[in-house]
Amino acid sequence: MDTPPTAAGVGARVRRKEDERLLRGRGRFVGDIAMPGMLELAFVRSPVAHARIRGFEIPEEHRDAVFTWADMAAAGIRPIRAVSGLPGFKVSEQPALADGKVRFVGEPVAVCVAATRAEAEDIAAQIFVDVDELPVNTDMLEAVKPGAPKVHEHWADNVFLETNVGGSIADVAATAPIKVSRSIRTARQCMVPMEGKGVLAHWDRQAEQIVLTASTQLPHIVRAGLAECLGIEQGLVRVIAPDVGGGFGWKGLLQPEEVVAAWLAMKLDRPIRWTEDRREHLVAAANCREHHYEITAYADERGKLLGLEADAWVDAGSYSVYPFSACLEAAQVGSILPGPYDFQNYRCRTFSVATNKPPIVPYRGVARTGVCFAMEQMIDAVAEAVGREPWEVRAENLVPPEKMPFDNITKKHFDSGDYPESVRQAVAAIGLEGWRARQTQGEPDGRMIGVGFATYCEQAAHGTAVYHGWGIPMVPGHEQAQARVTPDGGLELRVGVQSHGQGMETTFAQVAHEVLGIPIAKIKLVHGDTGLTPYSTGTWGSRSMVMAGGAVATASRQIAERLRKIGAHLLQARVEDTVLRGGAVHAGAASVSIKEIAHTWYRAPQLLPADVDRGGLELTAGYKPKSDHGTFSYATHAVAVAVDPDLGTVEILDYVVVEDAGTMVNPMVVDGQICGGVAQGIGTALYERVPYDETGQPLSSTFADYLIPGFTEVPHVRIIHMVTPSPYTEFGVKGIGEGGAIAPPAALCNAINDALRPLGARVTSSPMTPDAILSAIAEAGR
Amino acid sequence: MTKTITLTINGRRVTAQVSPRTHLADFLREQQLLTGTHLGCEHGVCGACTLLIDGQPARSCITYAVACDGRAVTTVEGLDADPTAAELRDAFSAEHGLQCGFCTPGMLVAARDVVLRKPDADDRQIRVEMSGNLCRCTGYVGIVNAIRRVLDARKTNAG
Repeated sequence: MDTPPTAAGVGARVRRKEDERLLRGRGRFVGDIAMPGMLELAFVRSPVAHARIRGFEIPEEHRDAVFTWADMAAAGIRPIRAVSGLPGFKVSEQPALADGKVRFVGEPVAVCVAATRAEAEDIAAQIFVDVDELPVNTDMLEAVKPGAPKVHEHWADNVFLETNVGGSIADVAATAPIKVSRSIRTARQCMVPMEGKGVLAHWDRQAEQIVLTASTQLPHIVRAGLAECLGIEQGLVRVIAPDVGGGFGWKGLLQPEEVVAAWLAMKLDRPIRWTEDRREHLVAAANCREHHYEITAYADERGKLLGLEADAWVDAGSYSVYPFSACLEAAQVGSILPGPYDFQNYRCRTFSVATNKPPIVPYRGVARTGVCFAMEQMIDAVAEAVGREPWEVRAENLVPPEKMPFDNITKKHFDSGDYPESVRQAVAAIGLEGWRARQTQGEPDGRMIGVGFATYCEQAAHGTAVYHGWGIPMVPGHEQAQARVTPDGGLELRVGVQSHGQGMETTFAQVAHEVLGIPIAKIKLVHGDTGLTPYSTGTWGSRSMVMAGGAVATASRQIAERLRKIGAHLLQARVEDTVLRGGAVHAGAASVSIKEIAHTWYRAPQLLPADVDRGGLELTAGYKPKSDHGTFSYATHAVAVAVDPDLGTVEILDYVVVEDAGTMVNPMVVDGQICGGVAQGIGTALYERVPYDETGQPLSSTFADYLIPGFTEVPHVRIIHMVTPSPYTEFGVKGIGEGGAIAPPAALCNAINDALRPLGARVTSSPMTPDAILSAIAEAGR
Repeated sequence: MTKTITLTINGRRVTAQVSPRTHLADFLREQQLLTGTHLGCEHGVCGACTLLIDGQPARSCITYAVACDGRAVTTVEGLDADPTAAELRDAFSAEHGLQCGFCTPGMLVAARDVVLRKPDADDRQIRVEMSGNLCRCTGYVGIVNAIRRVLDARKTNAG
């Protein structure tokens, strides 16, 4: 199968097959789909953060159009339940509509049904929810103190889970010449895909199934969770993801609104549609990224890390989401805080804290963005303490290439690469010397120049070995792909992951083309439909190209063997004397095309060999990488900024990413993932925050309050690729989807602090807004 | 409760009954089945719903349908045969100026306006001109490159 790379195979910068329909406005998103007799939903949402529901006042004329949990419970609907098997995990149950108590502003408490969304909203506006307000937890550090109001009364405290990683590092703490400590915080954010969540549920009378057409990243997982909540067999549920307008994690869960829509479609025997509006999203889906670290690093006089200890809190909100649970993020902090570094002493305690905010959902990079923000500040802090360039201290502490593959202090198995080289290349590419000279010289406009670096490695496509330990409702195993040669020599691929911007319809076709030589124009990917595709845990954790791409390669190779066998017969050659190349089976000078072979199987079976594989030209193949501890892509980000000490504003003057995604199937798509990730990371770093007042009211419910980066806030990111193929995967690919979003807050924080150093000021929390920077400067001046 | 309006949609004369509170995007999507116009925020910030009213870019989520009586509305579906849009579609694909494609119809309408109105725009000007449209996937680099590509090609062809 040593076919040389072709213009459309692995490694080619191929234009996307998806583009044509999307560029003509002919995509098919949930909101674009209507069905005869369809009704629309509007949710009545909790106006308060914590309260007991005394009752509802529903106008008599709307009695039949309004439903509450009492109706659902009477029908036997079960709450969403996402447990973790980690010892000590406290279980929360989330009814799809609040059951007697509300725990965050925006929690659905009742649902209204009408012919249009507008009419449903009219009804919702007339529903009065009578509540007794309760004291609220708006801050995770307060919520863990004795006497804090309890989010879940039957718990002993507000901690979903406490984890402890590593052992005592008292010896190092007592003897290390360098000790630096920081308090570090990241703000609660909202993921903001441009398409909000949407769902259209209907009962398919012929298939006898509830069909949920939903903007989801995980159709098979939603199917399982939905069946559990509805109390029906999974065979009665089909989940279809049509075109999905971005996800980033927000569409990687079973949502209460999906349960409600499915139940109502069955109850009313009418198609039911709900489309999340932006205000609902910014209020009820403000659900990610909120971490707090108390962290200390120990080092020698040169800055070599001797140990690290940390307490970390994650604001997990009010409930445990299905399937990832409330503890994934904080527990992950404990295991990945050491980052890409090689050191010997480590202790970390983490708390997943319940508060009166929306339940936390893993956002692009999951805990890594917060972890990188904390760890990379510590590297710079150590460098400052020993009086050296941060990049030098960074490079010297990174796992060196000669130690690869490397098992780190928390048993993460780094597969390959040259981490220090990524730093050196970033230093050269950003032109550090030039910026240092400019710093010395000073800016004519009084602004202050800073340069910052951040390095991370990202465990992607984690498999069974990692996930079974969490004990959550979902453990990825073997990923499968179905391949079918069509009678005219094309190829259909079916995968259970879901593409919502990643371009898999193109990149998976490239993988199959690499193996089979069938033109990518003739390769069709079917994805995201539980009725048509193999089971999959879905698209999350930068896993799709490694896992489903590997399955597509495996299935294609097995198809190739069947093609060769029929081809050899038609060519009157021995199978071992044939090769599949360029879309045809060759034996010496003779050849027969895949199209002819397909024709023979389907249309002229009298010509087949007697011992032909009776499975024909259609099969399902499974795949798992050689190591299912995941791939480790890595990168160093370098950024130069100008900080205005009078206004607190930050301008990004240059941004460089030096990254290693292993083999790139489509470098254009990889670059797009990195640029998009960096833009989100810049949002985390400088702009995005959902503030709450003391009563738990969110203060950013429009795009006028919640700022995501636009054209003028994001620089023309420069990307340099290092290509170290993973030893464990098909073609040596590594997961890359999330990486871009991990390092920008850390790199920008280090750059801003580099700029502020002459003033003795320092920021340690994100977002680093003008107010935050001016406060830091004022603090330093006191 | 409804009003009768007559307008031109993508070159076709349409008479319809609309509720006064219905915004143009809902009218186009739900009543005219033109779902290429996307709704990203419904408060006039994100630009996903941008279309042309009498040839000028406008936010259809904060424009009432009844206000379009007698006007000519062009949606992304109406740009199929538009030569500038065709250049932009090719450039967006070549430069990876779209990922999920949800913001794309609004981006194309805004980008077309930039190409026609600012033929000499540099990258900074492209960014400023496009700053009324948000994208969460691409990081904007591919979109800026796509518009750059069209502007450069036009200059080459003109020269």
